[in-house]
Amino acid sequence: MAAETGLDPVIHAPARLRVMVTLATLRDGDDLSFTRLQELIGLTPGNLITHLRKLEDAGYVTTAKSGSGVNARTSVSLSRVGRKALDTYTAVLRQLLDSASTNGTSPH
Amino acid sequence: MLEDQDMSVQEAAAVVRHARARARRELVISAPLVYAAWGLVWLIGYGAMWLSVRGQHPYTGPSGVSIAAVFVLAAFAAAAVLVIISKAVAGIDGQSVRYRRIILAAWATGYLILLIVQAAISSSVSTRTLAFVGFAGPLLLAGLTYILASALGRNRPAFALGAWLVIVGASCAWLAPAAVLATCALAGGGAFLLMSVIGTRLRAHGR
Repeated sequence: MAAETGLDPVIHAPARLRVMVTLATLRDGDDLSFTRLQELIGLTPGNLITHLRKLEDAGYVTTAKSGSGVNARTSVSLSRVGRKALDTYTAVLRQLLDSASTNGTSPH
Repeated sequence: MLEDQDMSVQEAAAVVRHARARARRELVISAPLVYAAWGLVWLIGYGAMWLSVRGQHPYTGPSGVSIAAVFVLAAFAAAAVLVIISKAVAGIDGQSVRYRRIILAAWATGYLILLIVQAAISSSVSTRTLAFVGFAGPLLLAGLTYILASALGRNRPAFALGAWLVIVGASCAWLAPAAVLATCALAGGGAFLLMSVIGTRLRAHGR
């Protein structure tokens, strides 16, 4: 379906889309802790890691580990490429919705 | 469950809408609440000081109770603002956190300098000058802080509020002490509360 519509298949999955939109809310130069992201997205750590890996492989997010022991922190941020990809994704999404409402059809 | 299933365009649009609304609600500091907290301090606190000096001939200054009320209100507002900010920025690190610390340090330094200047000149200047430094000074400082903070998020409402507070604060240089208090309470506190209402509407429209 993603390929037919021109929507980026890496982003076009509910969990990854939520991750991208959530990270896009942060200001440039900011990152979010893995724990807070998990709390906002509502996935298990394992599932979130899997989705983050896919987004990281595409160059859309970056993860970094800092500290050790109880001070260990994994941070996640949206890359410049990721922000651009999300902008393109939402633009295509808008176009599809607009053309569907114009034609009176339901885009799938 | 690994959420990787396909979704329709409408479903994707709904996911974007909900995720964006939730992220803004949870991760963005609620400026309207912050404005409301400080607005009440200016309006009620300074309003109480103004009522206590209204009709004084000669002017002897606000009552101890009204001054204490300002400090108590400010302490509550500061605590509320701290909770609002801490909840929103939990888990966030990076440039904006560093900028926020610098802005807070700049405001705290400015306020400390104001207190020192006020103490240093208290015995050698007129009550009018002292009222301007002591009452309008914090409003000028708040205005400059908002102008500085507006640069962080290209925040036009914060810039507008800051500019207005600076104009109001500076205009107090021409006023008598009681009028300074009334102006700070009404034009200063009123502006904070107005921005709170405008900010709430902008937030409701996702801006």
